[in-house]
Amino acid sequence: MKWLKLLLRLLAVGVFLVAGVLKVLDPAHFAADIDHFRLLPYFMVAPLALYLPWLEIICGLAVFTGAWRRSALGLLFAMNVVFIAAITSAWMRGLDIRCGCFGAASTAPLAYDLAFDVVLCGVLFWLLRAERRPGSPPAQNI
Amino acid sequence: MACVGTNPSCAATCRQAALLLALALAPALLTAWLHPKRPAWSWTRPAVTELPLADAERLTPPVIWLDARPDEEYAAQHVPGALSLNEDRWEDLLPKFMAVWRPGTRVVVYCNSQRCDASRAVAARLRHEYQIGNVFVLQGGWTTWQEAHKK
Repeated sequence: MKWLKLLLRLLAVGVFLVAGVLKVLDPAHFAADIDHFRLLPYFMVAPLALYLPWLEIICGLAVFTGAWRRSALGLLFAMNVVFIAAITSAWMRGLDIRCGCFGAASTAPLAYDLAFDVVLCGVLFWLLRAERRPGSPPAQNI
Repeated sequence: MACVGTNPSCAATCRQAALLLALALAPALLTAWLHPKRPAWSWTRPAVTELPLADAERLTPPVIWLDARPDEEYAAQHVPGALSLNEDRWEDLLPKFMAVWRPGTRVVVYCNSQRCDASRAVAARLRHEYQIGNVFVLQGGWTTWQEAHKK
């Protein structure tokens, strides 16, 4: 169980760090990707494209270092639920767009991204449940 | 956040989450200020003019057709003479377009279908970031063009 937890944690950290860095490299591209979903008013698109990748990176680093891990996992889980809702909405509207989850490297059809995000959401939920609450008796640390 | 003040462990988690949210603001602001590829901000979505295929094909020359689809789709098939310009490889592909574009040239951008947005994004960038006028989006995109030119 200990090794599975460590492995899944590293996997989640890797996914969010890579996704965040790829989007930080080209925020204009990510802004266009967000706009293609047609879910947000235009004035929110650029600020979100600048902010979201850094939130992914900072939460990823927090999960990795162990500082505020439970809070970071909670935020990543919440973000992932929003991503799943956005992708599902675009898929149901038949939009011919890409998810943009990994910046310009996102080339997969929406259905693949949706499946990936659902699995990732499950991993995050499991990690969140496995993480001890602050103030609770110390668990066996990894 | 309903737990704040009642359950200490939950309050601590919420406080830490709020701090993480605030921490991400600093690099985001720096990116907005310094990043060479920062997105342009405006209250409203830049307007682009859409043209039906018949009107697009009647535009007075010179006309440049731009394919905003991904590279592999452009490589498979495209409007004869069309150049590729997509957001994935914007920096690589833009010089080829700029080399042939002259003031007064009309530009028609297309992507896959009416359901795609890449052509609108490319047209909006050309208009607003490069001040290129006479940029139009092909209604129905590649699908419509193919339907009309079936042999």
